[in-house]
Amino acid sequence: MQIEFSAEQKALQQEIKRYLQQLFTPELTAELAAAGAEEGGGPEFRKALRQLGADGYISMSWPKELGGKEASAIDQYIFTEEIIRTGFPYPFLTTEACGPVMAEHASEEVRETVVKGILRGEVVVAIGYSEPGAGTDLAALTTRAEKEGDDWVINGQKIWTSLAEYSDYVWLAARTDPNAPKHKGITMFVVPTNAEGFSMSPIWTLGSVRTNATFYENIRLKDEWRVGEVNQGWKLITGQLNRERLSLVTHGQAEELYLRVARWAANTESANGKKIIDRGWVKYNLAKVRTGLEALKLVCWKQAWAMDKGTLQMADASVAKVYGTEFFLENYRMLMEIVGQASTLRRDEHTDALMGALEHRYRTGSILTFGGGTNEVQREIIAGAGLWMPRGRL
Amino acid sequence: MNFELTDDQRDVQVLSRKILEDYCTNEQLRRFDQGERFDPILWQELATAGLLGISIDEQFGGMGFDFETLCLLVEEVGRCVAPVPVISSLVLGAVALQRFGNDDVKRSVLPDVASGKSLLIAAFSEADHAGAVPTTLKATRSGQRWQLQGEKHFVPFAKLAQHLLISAQADDGAALFMLPSDTEGLRMQQHTSTAGEHQYALSFNNVELDDNQCVLAGDKAAAALTEINNLGVAATCAQMLGICEVMLRTTASYTSEREQFGVKVATFQAVGQRAADSYIDVECFRLVTQKAIYAVEHESPRDALAACLIAKIWAGDAGHRVSHAAQHLHGGMGVDRDYPLWRYCLWAKQLELTLGNSAELTEQLGEETAAEFKQALHN
Repeated sequence: MQIEFSAEQKALQQEIKRYLQQLFTPELTAELAAAGAEEGGGPEFRKALRQLGADGYISMSWPKELGGKEASAIDQYIFTEEIIRTGFPYPFLTTEACGPVMAEHASEEVRETVVKGILRGEVVVAIGYSEPGAGTDLAALTTRAEKEGDDWVINGQKIWTSLAEYSDYVWLAARTDPNAPKHKGITMFVVPTNAEGFSMSPIWTLGSVRTNATFYENIRLKDEWRVGEVNQGWKLITGQLNRERLSLVTHGQAEELYLRVARWAANTESANGKKIIDRGWVKYNLAKVRTGLEALKLVCWKQAWAMDKGTLQMADASVAKVYGTEFFLENYRMLMEIVGQASTLRRDEHTDALMGALEHRYRTGSILTFGGGTNEVQREIIAGAGLWMPRGRL
Repeated sequence: MNFELTDDQRDVQVLSRKILEDYCTNEQLRRFDQGERFDPILWQELATAGLLGISIDEQFGGMGFDFETLCLLVEEVGRCVAPVPVISSLVLGAVALQRFGNDDVKRSVLPDVASGKSLLIAAFSEADHAGAVPTTLKATRSGQRWQLQGEKHFVPFAKLAQHLLISAQADDGAALFMLPSDTEGLRMQQHTSTAGEHQYALSFNNVELDDNQCVLAGDKAAAALTEINNLGVAATCAQMLGICEVMLRTTASYTSEREQFGVKVATFQAVGQRAADSYIDVECFRLVTQKAIYAVEHESPRDALAACLIAKIWAGDAGHRVSHAAQHLHGGMGVDRDYPLWRYCLWAKQLELTLGNSAELTEQLGEETAAEFKQALHN
């Protein structure tokens, strides 16, 4: 075994660190620090995304025939982890989940416009899966796409369509055969957000992050905007879930906060003249965080390695999802305890950036335990696929 | 990055598993549930297969594989809760001697350890101290002689050993000694551990040793003892891993067969979710253990120590949780001595408290972490 990066991987990590440092201009930093812009969509964000496209980072892990560099899952993980550390709202679902699937299955027209746009960093795609009546039970979705002549007409409503406010397209799952078993009547479409009949209303979340309800009213699409075979959409949805789940729980962001808090504690004096880090319980919290973080890092490394070997087991991706998302919450809590009440101050120009980051992260962290496939379902998968236990009653 | 075993390692794993699984039936294990937990026939079988000398150098009668390969045998011993002293003899004893003994000592002891002819047992633990460098057993030097005064605790197999390897506190730092178990002035008080094995408290009352019985002393000894302790911790994690894997799989199988209310117990969501939590614990614990085993051979002393502390904290936490989930989900079967699970649960508890427990090691990791960050500020 060799449980560390190879020399080449370490060099790549350094190269990416340096690259990202120069990507972060003062203008971009200022834009992302402004309230409401931290999820991206502003002009500086767009500029940086185009730069990432031009420099070949977006296509890094894509197959060669789709214009990518076919980087290993580990190299891709190194990139993902580093960019998450910077706080850049990189649109993973566009680049890792939708993009490669569209590139493989979409029509010439979609490949030329949407896929090439993604690769150039000019296009962001929102995910149109969940509906008011179809969350964890996603295949219960009822948004309809009906054939009219050569065209499709789409009617329905999606919810939690995050990033739709600045996305160029929605990657939409719609029911095309209401009589088929529920997993077998779904087809994928790409819907331009400027299509006639498309509208949205914002949903403001506990974490101050905006998401959206999106509405589809008699939207007419040419057949070219369908992706994959009719009624075969479920496979396209589930095919990318492993990568998607891994990019949800990369350890970089949590480690970055740990490092910043530990440095702050080592450098800051409390009233009695001792450093914060000299308190017993502060050391204890740091050790607990470090212990959990090390496991998360190794879980992610092992998964990326297994993806490259083609040996990733279904239960493994669920282990990462459950452990990672639940650890994040513990991690934020223990780090906030160290910083104390200052960590409950929201970020603004008068607040220390570290405190603001902690406050923001804990408040946005809670969505991950149920988003991306709720953790109870992940545990069902683990019991079934990992332990061969008979499936529970649903 | 590579999480794969080499072909040689896989061979060692398969061979160990075959010998141990064939031998360690419930009936066989029952014979060793009380008393000395040492089966000389099994020990000899392992010796004949070459497994006692896995990581002893070829020139001293072993196979010369690395520590990682030795830990595969240790994990299999955990899986079978086999009554053999792999850690106190092969890891804390033989590996320690091989790394820090001189050639004369190695030549006189290691070939007999590899062949199973003599038993080398390490005694490092003290009454209230699980760390590497001892605090209460004092070694005083006068001329070419040493005098030992103090106690060692929780030492299994001490009565059976030909050679005891002892850590001590000398005037100028740590020291390591090897002595016969019938040395004059050494007394052994027998105890029975929670898992049922005999352990001994050793008291050294003015024990006189020759200078050639001192394996190591001076300024390098403290770092050596830390390294030995790390090896012991990493191997203990490997043994705990084997135990946890079996507890987890046994629970999954049992609940998949057992019926209540007309259905398999495993189909209740509460049961499946709890078993899944154990699965997550075991996966995390496996990875930090593999990392610790890797780190003790390939990373800096500071990183190796941190990796071992993290792995042992996980061993204590995961071992405790997986054990009690297994007992609970088995219902009465989990505590029935005719069903094999109980043995694993007791061993999980014993290993949890061996070579440092989660709370004290978390404190130690906190100290290490604070020191690292304070030092980084000054650089």
